[in-house]
Amino acid sequence: MQRPNPNELKSVLKGKPAPTFSLPLLEPYRAQYGAEMGIKQGLNKPVFLNIWASWCVPCRTEAPLLERYHQRYKDQVLFLGVNVQDKESEALKFIQQYGLSFPSVYDERGRIGIEYGYYGVPETFIIDRNGIVLDRHTGELGEAQLQDYLRKVLP
Amino acid sequence: MRPWGKSAVIGPLLVIGCWLLASVLAQPAPNTPPPDFSPRVFEIARELRCPVCQGESAAESNAGIAVEMRRIIAEQLAQGKSEAEIRAFFIERYGDWILYEPPARGLTLWVWLSPLLGLGLLGFGLWRYLVRVGAQAKASVTDVSDEEIARLEAELQPPERQP
Repeated sequence: MQRPNPNELKSVLKGKPAPTFSLPLLEPYRAQYGAEMGIKQGLNKPVFLNIWASWCVPCRTEAPLLERYHQRYKDQVLFLGVNVQDKESEALKFIQQYGLSFPSVYDERGRIGIEYGYYGVPETFIIDRNGIVLDRHTGELGEAQLQDYLRKVLP
Repeated sequence: MRPWGKSAVIGPLLVIGCWLLASVLAQPAPNTPPPDFSPRVFEIARELRCPVCQGESAAESNAGIAVEMRRIIAEQLAQGKSEAEIRAFFIERYGDWILYEPPARGLTLWVWLSPLLGLGLLGFGLWRYLVRVGAQAKASVTDVSDEEIARLEAELQPPERQP
């Protein structure tokens, strides 16, 4: 009589093209990246799509790790945050608090989350350079796992 | 001092009774979010699982994802999509897992059925027992040997007078 463990629930997207979208970027990133950003054809770069919210505790432990790896791999990998179910002001506070330089888009209602079939936050989708979803990581991303995923997507 | 009349007792009791009844009626049904959409939306949402809470349907939960799911259902209904199309939309994103099943399945089904099975077995046992007892009773009537019958009939003959 056990509850299904979401970590054992394989994403139906695995092995399929990542759903494309374009969403408004949070204000601090507009100068560098433009008004909108998202997953589109011909990015030609692996993507770590990280769904997060300011009210989620594991997201807070994860943020510095993502930032560190973004600094190290930004030329080869796109780290893209999707802020869901959040107040924009809270999201901005969070970004400032952790000094996050990788871009995040704002998805107030979490519609893109549902598009990707998410269960909660944080959740990270690992997308290869051809736009195919290699894996979905539910919950906090640890450094060892992050390195594992990186090895899979880097040539 | 005047002894208490009947009405002095019944009055407050009536007031308390009415108040209790009113408070019971005023209770909202548990686990129902504010009806932000039409009943049709909730009918469809009831058949879908809430991805965050998992033990609840998307109709009962107030988690952000469930609220958004209801909003999507309302939008798609407005676009004239059928119930099956809306269900397919969620299955496409979450797999069959998103379909909320009533709890009487698999192992739980046995829990539901065991009392019925028990009663059935009891009835069957009782029936078998009665059949056996009946058969024994019948058998004891028919299984009398000829010799015994002859002896009985001899005994039933009036005794011959002794000279």
